Amino acid sequence: MKNVVLNVQDLTVHYKISKKVIHAVENVSFKVEDGEFVGIVGESGSGKSTLAHTIIRLLPINAIVVGGRIELLGYDVLSLGEEDMRKIRWKEFSMVFQKSLNALSPVHKVGNQLADAMKAHNPNLTEEEIIDRLKQLLRMVNLPERVLKAYPHQLSGGMMQRIMIALALLNHPKFIIFDEATTALDVVTQGQIIEEIKSLVKSLSLTGLVISHDLGVVSELCDEIVVMYAGRLVEHGTTEQILQQPLHPYTQGLVRSLPDFARERRLFGIPGNLPDLSESVHRCVFAPRCPIANEECFTTVPSTEEVDGRRVACLKVGARV
Amino acid sequence: MSLLSVKNLKKYYSAGLVKKHYSVKALDGVSFDIEPGELFGVIGESGCGKTTLGLVLSRLERETSGEITFKGLKLSGTLKLDSDTRRQIQIIFQNPYESFDPRLRIEQSLLLPMRINRICDNDAERREKILGYMKDAGFEPPDAFLNRYPHELSGGQLQRISIIRAMLLKPTFLVADECVSMLDLSVRASVVNLLLDLVEREKTTVLFITHDLSLAGHVCDRIMVLYLGKTVELSTAKRIVESPLHPYTRILMSYSPSIFKKREKISVKKLDVETAIGSGCVFAPRCPYSFEKCAQQMPPLIEIEPSHSVACWLYSRT
Repeated sequence: MKNVVLNVQDLTVHYKISKKVIHAVENVSFKVEDGEFVGIVGESGSGKSTLAHTIIRLLPINAIVVGGRIELLGYDVLSLGEEDMRKIRWKEFSMVFQKSLNALSPVHKVGNQLADAMKAHNPNLTEEEIIDRLKQLLRMVNLPERVLKAYPHQLSGGMMQRIMIALALLNHPKFIIFDEATTALDVVTQGQIIEEIKSLVKSLSLTGLVISHDLGVVSELCDEIVVMYAGRLVEHGTTEQILQQPLHPYTQGLVRSLPDFARERRLFGIPGNLPDLSESVHRCVFAPRCPIANEECFTTVPSTEEVDGRRVACLKVGARV
Repeated sequence: MSLLSVKNLKKYYSAGLVKKHYSVKALDGVSFDIEPGELFGVIGESGCGKTTLGLVLSRLERETSGEITFKGLKLSGTLKLDSDTRRQIQIIFQNPYESFDPRLRIEQSLLLPMRINRICDNDAERREKILGYMKDAGFEPPDAFLNRYPHELSGGQLQRISIIRAMLLKPTFLVADECVSMLDLSVRASVVNLLLDLVEREKTTVLFITHDLSLAGHVCDRIMVLYLGKTVELSTAKRIVESPLHPYTRILMSYSPSIFKKREKISVKKLDVETAIGSGCVFAPRCPYSFEKCAQQMPPLIEIEPSHSVACWLYSRT
C-alpha cells in the first residue's frame, strides 16, 4: 500500500460574518496517496477553496476550524504554531493561485520577487546559486530568461500563470495545490498549461490537489475526484467512475449539464440554487434540488458510505445497494 | 433579405497615454449577413474583438469605418437612432449585477424601459405582462421577486431577469454577450434555455457571443470565428464543430476541455496571442502549418464549399 500524504478527517470550517455563521466546510474526509492527484470539484460556494486554504493554513481571520484533523506529509497541520507553519509552508508544500496578477507585487520585478521567496527559506544561498535555480525553474515552465527582469503587468496571463507555477516549485515541494490555476486563461493557453503541468507532475513525482469548477480540467489532471456541494463531500471516486457512472444525483446533474457537441440544443440544468450556507440543516443539503429526494432525505443527514469502491453521501444510493 | 448586413466593419482604438501613437485593431474588416430568426454565434479568445462587435452592432460604440444595414436601414455613421430602431436592438451583458441599477427594485428596472418605449397603455397592464414572463421563466411566486433588489438575487436569477427585461421590449435583434460565462454550470442551463425559448417564441434574431466553443456549437445555427479582429472561419455550427478547416478553429476544438472525448491536441508555435504586425496572416505567428506566403499577405475569406468560408492560404486554390 502506498503512503498517505494528505489525510483530511472530519474537517469542519465556519466563517463568522457579522452575526451569521457560514458553514463553509462540513465533515469532509478524504486521503491522497503518494504520487496521486485528487481533484476537488464544486460550484462557487461549495467550499472547495476554503478546504484548500485550510490545508495550507491560509484562512482569513474570521474563519474558525470547528473540528477535524489534517495530516500532511506527517505534520499535524492544524496544531502547528504559526512560526513552525511558516517554516514548512512553501518548502514542503505550496500552492498555485488563480489570480496570478494579484499574487505578485506590481512594483517589483518578477525575478526579485522569486529570489526573495527563495531567500526566505534558504538564507545561506549565494546570489549565483539563486539565479541558477531561477533559470532552471524558468526552463522547466518554458519561459525565456528575460521574464526575470520584467514587471508582472508586462507579461501575458499565460506567462504569469507559469511564473506562479515556478514560484510554487521554488523549494522542491513534495505536495502542491492548484487552486483554479488555469481558470482565467484562454482555451488554447489553458490546454497547453495543463499539458505542461502533466509533464512536470510526472518528472518531479509530485502529489497534490487540483481545485476547479471545471470537470474537463480536473479529468485531464487527476486520478480521483472529490465532488463537493454546499460544503459537503457528496461523492469521491476515481475519475472514470465519477465521469462515466456518477452515483450521487448532484454529480449526475453536473455531468449531464456539460454542453456536449453531439447533443440536443436545450441544455440540462439542475433546478434551484445553492442553499443558504448560514443555516445549519439536518437533512441532505442537496434534497431541495434533488429529483429523487423523498421524506427521509429531508429529515436525515446522509453519511458517506462506501458503494462500489467509491464513497457517496446519498441515502438513496445506500438503500439501493 | 438579411436582417442585418455588415460590410467591411472596422473599429480601431487609439492607444498610448502621451501620444496617440498606435491603434488597436479590435475589428479589422469584418463582413457577414444575419438572416431573420437566426442564432448567429461569434466565438474567439479574449482580445479577438467579439465584445467590440456586440457593442458596435448594438450602437453603443461607433465604428471606425464600414457599413451596417439593419432591415434595409443604414445604421453606420451615427449613434443616433430613432426610438423604434433603438427598441428593436437590445443587448444582454455578461455581468447581471452591473447591468441593473442597485437602488431600483426589480419591478422598477423592468417597468422603466417599458414606459419609455410605450409598451402597453398603463402600469397595471405592464405589470401583468412582466408577471407572465416571470412565471414562464420559473419564478414562483413572481411578485415576490419583483419587490427585491438586484443584490438579493443569485447570478442565475438576475441574468434570467435581464433576458426578460430585454425581451419585454419585443426586440428583433438581440445581442447576448457572454451571457452565461459568469454562472455556475448547474444554473447555466436555466439561463440558456430561457433565452432559447423566448427567442424562438418571439422569432428574435440573436448574436450569441461566447468564448466557449462547445456552448456555441450547442446553441447556434451558424458560427463565426474571430481572431484578432479578423474573421477566420464562418459556417454552420455543425460544420465548425465537426469539420473545422481553419488551423485556429481546429486548435480551439482540440483544446476545448471535454470529458466526453479526449482529442489529440494540436500544438501551437507560440502560447500567447500576439498583436498583429505587418501584413501577414494574423494567426501565422502561432500557426503550426504556416508557410512563406502566410507571413506576407493576409488571406481573404473565401467560400470553400457552400456556406463554409475560411480565410487561410492552405485552402485557397490560387
